[in-house]
Amino acid sequence: MTNWQKHIGIIIPLLVIAGLMLYPTITGKAAARETAFTILKAIALASSLNILLGYTGYVSFGHIVFFGFGGYVGFYLLSSQGMSLWICILAGGVSSGVLAFLLGKAILRLRGAYFALATIGVNEAMRAFINNFDLFGGPTGITLNFKAYLAYGGAAKALEMAFYVVGGLAILAIILSYIIRTSKFGLGLLAIRENEDAAEVMGVFAPDAKTWAYVLSAIIPGMIGVLFFFKNGNVEPHDAFPLHASIELLVMVMLGGQGTVLGPILGAFAYQGMRGYLVTSDFFKDIQLSVSGALLLIIVLFIPAGAVGWLRQRFPILRRVLA
Amino acid sequence: MKRTLFNLFALLVVFSLALTACGGGAAPATEAPVVEAPAATDAPAAATEAPVAAPEEVTITVGFTASQTGAQEVSSKRQVNGFNLWMNQVNEAGGLTLSDGTVVKFAAQSYDDESTKERVQELYTRLITEDNADFLISPYSSGLTAAAAVIAEQNGKLMITTGAADDDTYKQGYTGVFQLYTPGSLYLTSTVDMLKTLDPAAKIAIVNESDKFSTAVVGGLKPYAEAAGFEIVLEEAYASDTADFGPIINKIVDSGATVVLGGGHYPDGSTFARQLYERKVGIQFIGILVAPPDSKFSELGDAALGVTGPSQWEGKATHTEEEANGLGIEWFGPSGEEFSAAFEAAYTDKPTYHAAGGYTAGLLLEKAIRDADSVDSEAVKAALDATNIFTFYGGIKFDTSAEAHGLQVGHSMVVIQWQKNEAGELVREVVWPADVATKAPIFPITAP
Repeated sequence: MTNWQKHIGIIIPLLVIAGLMLYPTITGKAAARETAFTILKAIALASSLNILLGYTGYVSFGHIVFFGFGGYVGFYLLSSQGMSLWICILAGGVSSGVLAFLLGKAILRLRGAYFALATIGVNEAMRAFINNFDLFGGPTGITLNFKAYLAYGGAAKALEMAFYVVGGLAILAIILSYIIRTSKFGLGLLAIRENEDAAEVMGVFAPDAKTWAYVLSAIIPGMIGVLFFFKNGNVEPHDAFPLHASIELLVMVMLGGQGTVLGPILGAFAYQGMRGYLVTSDFFKDIQLSVSGALLLIIVLFIPAGAVGWLRQRFPILRRVLA
Repeated sequence: MKRTLFNLFALLVVFSLALTACGGGAAPATEAPVVEAPAATDAPAAATEAPVAAPEEVTITVGFTASQTGAQEVSSKRQVNGFNLWMNQVNEAGGLTLSDGTVVKFAAQSYDDESTKERVQELYTRLITEDNADFLISPYSSGLTAAAAVIAEQNGKLMITTGAADDDTYKQGYTGVFQLYTPGSLYLTSTVDMLKTLDPAAKIAIVNESDKFSTAVVGGLKPYAEAAGFEIVLEEAYASDTADFGPIINKIVDSGATVVLGGGHYPDGSTFARQLYERKVGIQFIGILVAPPDSKFSELGDAALGVTGPSQWEGKATHTEEEANGLGIEWFGPSGEEFSAAFEAAYTDKPTYHAAGGYTAGLLLEKAIRDADSVDSEAVKAALDATNIFTFYGGIKFDTSAEAHGLQVGHSMVVIQWQKNEAGELVREVVWPADVATKAPIFPITAP
């Protein structure tokens, strides 16, 4: 088997991202860029959640807390301290990673529904904390002065730059996901997913493995948060920690196929692509939520393993291609 | 069965890929401006036999997102109804005619923002680059508007904001964003002015919802009340979903406050007013945001009696041409009665200030185009900068300084209070400013 054939599982996802990043350039449309931004953001977030949900089987209903917390930290440094966007993005990722580490030590000892409930509590607690934290603007949030974009060539260039950065972060998330998937560490996580007690007997130190999976799944959302708030120009507590966004991420991962590298990409692409079309369609725009809800219901009912899972079951030859 | 499943899945993927990729083509693009060329003629204009050139007609696209779903749905829909009423009236009247004979008509293009910021920038970019919107109206709410403003400014499009009261957006260096509402920091200053005439020694408890809008309002209220000589005896913020105000009411009692000002939005504001009434704590004056101007507030029964609230516009105290003449400011647009009658005829519903704001956003755009005698963005922007008019909605004038460009400085709010009419029914009366008041305020609201 040649080298590229061994890594076909990562090549296909990267080609999808590359296509998405090239799409606005090919069409020359700013609106296409914005649509692609939303999809790439969803891919990065869903792929990150997949590290926890897909590989360890732990369902987090509050994964968006890392997007909000990291985003807040980085956006504060950007708008109030005047730091460079690049440093702020790194700071957002690091702060989310640290938060995940501390949270992981506490709540990853819980399993199943208890863990899921705890993650909801963490998200709500963090929103309440930020709402009362004056340094981050409390309930009024933080607003970025329009002049801040001048440092990046003006608002138009800054928003275009944000698009390529989110593409880069999506690639990073996918590579991270792939490396974990194919590593010994990843095998340990998959063993935890199948049977945590058995995994421990086989030598996997589950508490540490889960914590590090949690940390790795939190870093990219923190970085994305900074970028998204930078692009939006402001942040408020209820925008930073929307519970429904966590649920949407779960839908994307399960739609595409949890525990696979390609699954979250397909799920995010299909979900956001469909929502993006319906919301701007003349015919569907007034009933877009009902239509998207009905479509999702049909898919979850008939393809519970997700798209990639179903394809792998249906066509064994694809098991090597669809990682 | 398997084949069906496969087909279903394949259909979804193809559907998503194709439609995302071809989203531009699928969009309901409104070509604008649509110029119908005048009838060509080589004859000199002065020639008596020359055919009369047909007036050039330009269709201007006004783009905005509306919250058709989510938390802002009700207010946003009212705002859109107001805007559409204005647009239909102008178009049915044959459009605006500029001095060169060009007839300007309007078309609206909008999308559902779902009351979230997730897609606001995407949709405004689409409105500008795909739908060729010439001018923009803001979404409803300050948060959504802040995200949309970045896109408007980046693309050099003018955006009239309505339903976006927070001051912050207008202090970020934007040059093409113009606010119609009285800024949030001034929401309760009219109430303080009124209170000064009622009880200059009042002790005020500020109790507000802990959110962006309400916090901005009390941020302006506190220094204003202190400068007016009032003592602030309590400052307390509560979570948006608070349902039990018992502990807060205890604090109000302990503080010795005679006046309560604050609130937030309808659910918490109406609950707070009801629980204040039920506890009979002897508060003499209550001023609450957002909830009292809503007609549903009367459902509280006696708990609503005497409660006041600031309103951007009230049909009962609509501004008049005489008022404008008295101030020496130019009057523009229909009277409040004409607006209310037209709105009720179109929607079988009484207009709220959200609807009046939507209508006035269109009216302001119309006035600026007339003043500029052009639909060119730069000319219209200059006209907006110079705007100093009075409409049924009130004064409209913008800050033109670099620090707060576009901030509304000409509009003031009225204060309404729930009182009982002769038949014993609860009615909303305007009690401040005194020159437009329909009734004197009830003070104190509790029996001694």
